[in-house]
Amino acid sequence: MPKLSGTDRVRRMLAIVPWVASRPDGAAIDELCDRFDLDRTQLVNDLATVSMVGVAPYTPDLMVEVVVEDDRVWVNLPIAFDKPLRLTPDEGFALLVAGSSLLSVPGADETGPLARALEKIASLLGVRPGDNVQIALGHAEDRTLSLLRDSIAAQRQVRLDYYSYGRDEHAVRVVEPDRLWAAGGQWYVAGYCHLAAAERIFRVDRVVGAVLLDSRFSGPGRSGRPERADGFDPGDEAPRIVLELAPNARWVLDQYPIEAAEELPDGRARVRLAVTAIAWLERLLLRLGPDARIVETDERVARVGSDAAKRILAVYRRPP
Amino acid sequence: MDKLERLLTLTATLLTTNRPLTAEELRDRIGGYPDSRASFRRAFERDKDDLREMGIPLETEEIFGVDPPAVGYRIRRDEYYLRDPGFEPDELTALRLAASLVRLDLSRGEEGLWKLGGVDDNTTHDGEALADLPSDPRLAPIFRAIADRAPVTFSYGDVGRTVDPYRLEFQRGRWYLTGFDHGRDDERNFRVDRIDGSVVVGSAGSFDLPRTNVAGSPAQPWQFGDGEPMTATVFVDQQQAPWAIQHLGESAVIERRDDGGVVVRLEVTNVAAFRSFVLTFLDHAEVLDPPELRADMVRWLEALCQS
Repeated sequence: MPKLSGTDRVRRMLAIVPWVASRPDGAAIDELCDRFDLDRTQLVNDLATVSMVGVAPYTPDLMVEVVVEDDRVWVNLPIAFDKPLRLTPDEGFALLVAGSSLLSVPGADETGPLARALEKIASLLGVRPGDNVQIALGHAEDRTLSLLRDSIAAQRQVRLDYYSYGRDEHAVRVVEPDRLWAAGGQWYVAGYCHLAAAERIFRVDRVVGAVLLDSRFSGPGRSGRPERADGFDPGDEAPRIVLELAPNARWVLDQYPIEAAEELPDGRARVRLAVTAIAWLERLLLRLGPDARIVETDERVARVGSDAAKRILAVYRRPP
Repeated sequence: MDKLERLLTLTATLLTTNRPLTAEELRDRIGGYPDSRASFRRAFERDKDDLREMGIPLETEEIFGVDPPAVGYRIRRDEYYLRDPGFEPDELTALRLAASLVRLDLSRGEEGLWKLGGVDDNTTHDGEALADLPSDPRLAPIFRAIADRAPVTFSYGDVGRTVDPYRLEFQRGRWYLTGFDHGRDDERNFRVDRIDGSVVVGSAGSFDLPRTNVAGSPAQPWQFGDGEPMTATVFVDQQQAPWAIQHLGESAVIERRDDGGVVVRLEVTNVAAFRSFVLTFLDHAEVLDPPELRADMVRWLEALCQS
């Protein structure tokens, strides 16, 4: 357990002391450790310190009284500290975000205990949940998310009609999902894919159709953890491309798997990328336009950007 | 004297006093401070900072009728204590479960839970998180400003802005702020991660929060710009239509063609972001209108053919 700073210890004691004081039968030390995430030695030491706290002139009726006996603690408070410190906006915000996230998941009970708890926190802070704070964990069809959840719970296979963005192609896959989660604004599902004969991660918004199958599977993760979404795993044989980026294309550094990066004068940057799928590189070059200069390339991908631009221009030039 | 003891004693003293106390009075009552005047001052300043960082509402007041003028300190009880929110046990359980399932890179949620009675062993969730949300140091001050109805001032796109903050929204993996931009005299959306530097919070109670129901109208990247608003129509072919509809919502669809393709309508104030979005469809999409956006796309593609 990491060593706590002075203010962390104060914060925790300001929460623990009124909680224990509100219980006439005291509290078990083990329960306090679990509840407030403290180790036993730290808790006992800090409680001993609290028993020295009071206000001038420090007569017994103005001191915090702490009694430790048989692994239980009783606290008797004089004046201050009988109620916990108000929630700070940061704390309230963190709780609102967690709660709103869960409520945004399809199938959440919008009038249940969590929704009621959030209303109460929001009113303590003077805001309205869903209006002043809004969370969308990812864009995905409710029906697909529910079906995937059912599949994981019942350990039944699913047949997914899946669009692989990186390869710009559709494929039907039978998958044994073992985990569903949201990150970076997208829902993902991971599981053993029969087509790939390996664990894979899929983006739920790219699932065009899903069917829950009757066949069951046992146990998650047949062959270990998948490496990346869409099976992205650049091998040594994948072509490499080196781009020089203008300052306003620096977002590439954050959003793409960069193999090597070098800072250049004037905010420019040089990056090396592994090309695992052509459509992926096409989109990047199309989007960057004049903000990227190809410095080094591989003959297999040398014309990807201009070929894609020509193909799209043909759409604009076809007769109406 | 242990720091924990000193800070707790200081808090208790400030909470129970009926009048503001000067630094010297506090030194006499609390004990445990260094004797030398300079060291005491330093230690006391640090303690004040610590209390404020913990969210303890330490007030500074001028003490009248003394010469030379002096400053006093106190904590008002009604400001300090948590108003009893009257949580039912099932509500607290739900809240604890939510906090353990959703990871926001702020430890503050956990501290909030301590104040509400800590984490119950039966409700914690040891598995992997359901959702990970990125954090940003500007989120807490902006949220505080919403709660306090205080304007925020920051630099965005090399322009200084003063905004009445209305809403923080997490969409497509990013945090967005919506509010009334004083300089533009209109409502604007901002990407929180694009704010340059820190956010300065102005005085509380400066505006009223509009009671608008904005659900279902998430701001899209091409709506984050100061350009003249344009209405664009885009054709998306049968292969990509389902994804486009899911991303933009049914309400964006203005025509369904027999071959399964759709025409969608978008409001655009940021041409570069609009172009990027349409290009993600590769040759599965085509800008139809207005002519200037179609021409912009053709110019862009022609330049790429030369490269």
